[in-house]
Amino acid sequence: MRNRICVGAALIIWVLLPVCASAQEYRNATEHFDALKREAKGGTKITWDKLPDWTGIWTRTPGIGLKFDPAQPSLQQTTAQLTPEFARKHKEKLERVAKGIEWDPISNCIPPGYPRWLTEPFLREFALRPEQTLLINEMVNDIRRIYTDGRGHTPEDEAYPLWNGDSVGFWDGDSLVIHTTQLMGGQYQRSQPDYTDQVETVERWRKVDDNTITAEVTIYDPPALVKPWHVVQRYSRVTTPGIRIRSWVCEENANNEVFQTKEGATQHVLPGPGAGPIIRSKPEK
Amino acid sequence: MTRPAIISVVAGVLMCLAAPTSAHHSGAMFEPEKIITLKGVVKEFEYTNPHSWLWVTVTNDDQTMTDWGFEAEGPSTLFRAGIKKSDLKPGDIVTVTGRPMRDGRPAAAWISATKKDGRVLQARTAPVTQRSGN
Repeated sequence: MRNRICVGAALIIWVLLPVCASAQEYRNATEHFDALKREAKGGTKITWDKLPDWTGIWTRTPGIGLKFDPAQPSLQQTTAQLTPEFARKHKEKLERVAKGIEWDPISNCIPPGYPRWLTEPFLREFALRPEQTLLINEMVNDIRRIYTDGRGHTPEDEAYPLWNGDSVGFWDGDSLVIHTTQLMGGQYQRSQPDYTDQVETVERWRKVDDNTITAEVTIYDPPALVKPWHVVQRYSRVTTPGIRIRSWVCEENANNEVFQTKEGATQHVLPGPGAGPIIRSKPEK
Repeated sequence: MTRPAIISVVAGVLMCLAAPTSAHHSGAMFEPEKIITLKGVVKEFEYTNPHSWLWVTVTNDDQTMTDWGFEAEGPSTLFRAGIKKSDLKPGDIVTVTGRPMRDGRPAAAWISATKKDGRVLQARTAPVTQRSGN
C-alpha cells in the first residue's frame, strides 16, 4: 500500500514538474532561455538520425478560432495580464469590432508577424535539420527560421525589427527550445490585444503524440504585459488524402482586394467575376 | 440594383454555420447575423488564395439578372472540406447560403451551396465564434 502511495506521489510530481518549471519567473526572455539551456547542459547534440519525425502537414487544432490563448474562455476575454494602457486599447478595439469597425493590418497581405504567426490557420509544415528548423505556415508562404547551430542572435548593430524576428534555439532531447527577439509590434490576432516591438518569447516545441505537436510559449513584453504570458498552442496532423501546400500569393484574384473606409472599417473593392489578378502598378495613361 | 430573388432571409442565427472568417481581412463587411439563400446558375468558380469566389447569376423578380459573389476560404481549406474546382462548373444550378454584405452589394460570405442533385458543399463548418480569421 505504502509503495502504491509513493508511486502515486512520484507520478504527481512528474506530471506537475514541467508546470512548476514553466511557472518559474524570470526577469526577461533572455534570462529564461539561458536558464533552460543551462538545465539542458547546453542542449542535445543533434544529428540527422536523432532528429524527431515531424513530417506531415499540420494545422492549428480546430475549434480555437481567433483566440490567441486556446485556454481563454472567449474571443473577447484574454488571459493576458495587460498593463492599463494596453487593457484600454484592447477594450476600445473590442468596442469598435462590435460596431463592425475593424481593419486588419494584414488585409493587403503583409505577413501576420510573430507571435501572431502561432495562431494563423491553414496548413503548416515543419522542416527539421540539425543546424536549423524551418517552421512554415502556408499563409503568405510564411517561414520562421530557427538556427540551432549554436550561433547567437544577430548583433545589435546589424539588427532591425522583423515580422518574424530573429530566432535561435537548441534541442533538449526531442524538444526544440527557441528564443525570439528583434520583432515588430502588432496584434496577437483580430480582437486580441496588441504587442510592442519589445516583445520577446521563449518557446518549447514538442511532438506529444503521432497527431499532435505543442508549443509552450512564454511571452515577455513589459510595456504591454504586467507579467509574462504563458500559453500552449496545439497543432494537429492533417489527414486529408492528397492535401499539399501550394504557393500562396495574395494577388491571385482582384476580388480579394479590400480597402479601409474613412471610419476605419474594411470594405471590398469587388470588381466582379473574371477580375483576374491584382495589378498594383498600373501604366500611366 | 433590382431586388434579387431572395428565397429566404434568416436573422438571429449567430451560432449557426455562418462564419465571418477571412484569410487576410476582417469579415466585418458582411452582416453578422443575417443569412440569405439564393438560387441561380454558376457563372464562375474562382479557386484562389487568399479567398475563393463562387459567382452565381441570379434571376431577379423583374427577370433581370445579377451576378452574386460568394466568398470562401482558399483552395486548401475548400479541399479539406471536400470542395474541388470541378464541383461547381459554369451552368450548374445551385442554391447558395451566405451572409450578405452590409452595404447591399450583391456578395456574401459563402456558407454552403446545394447542388441540383442534393449534394451540399459546406464551405464553412465551424460555429461563428470559433472560426479563424485568418
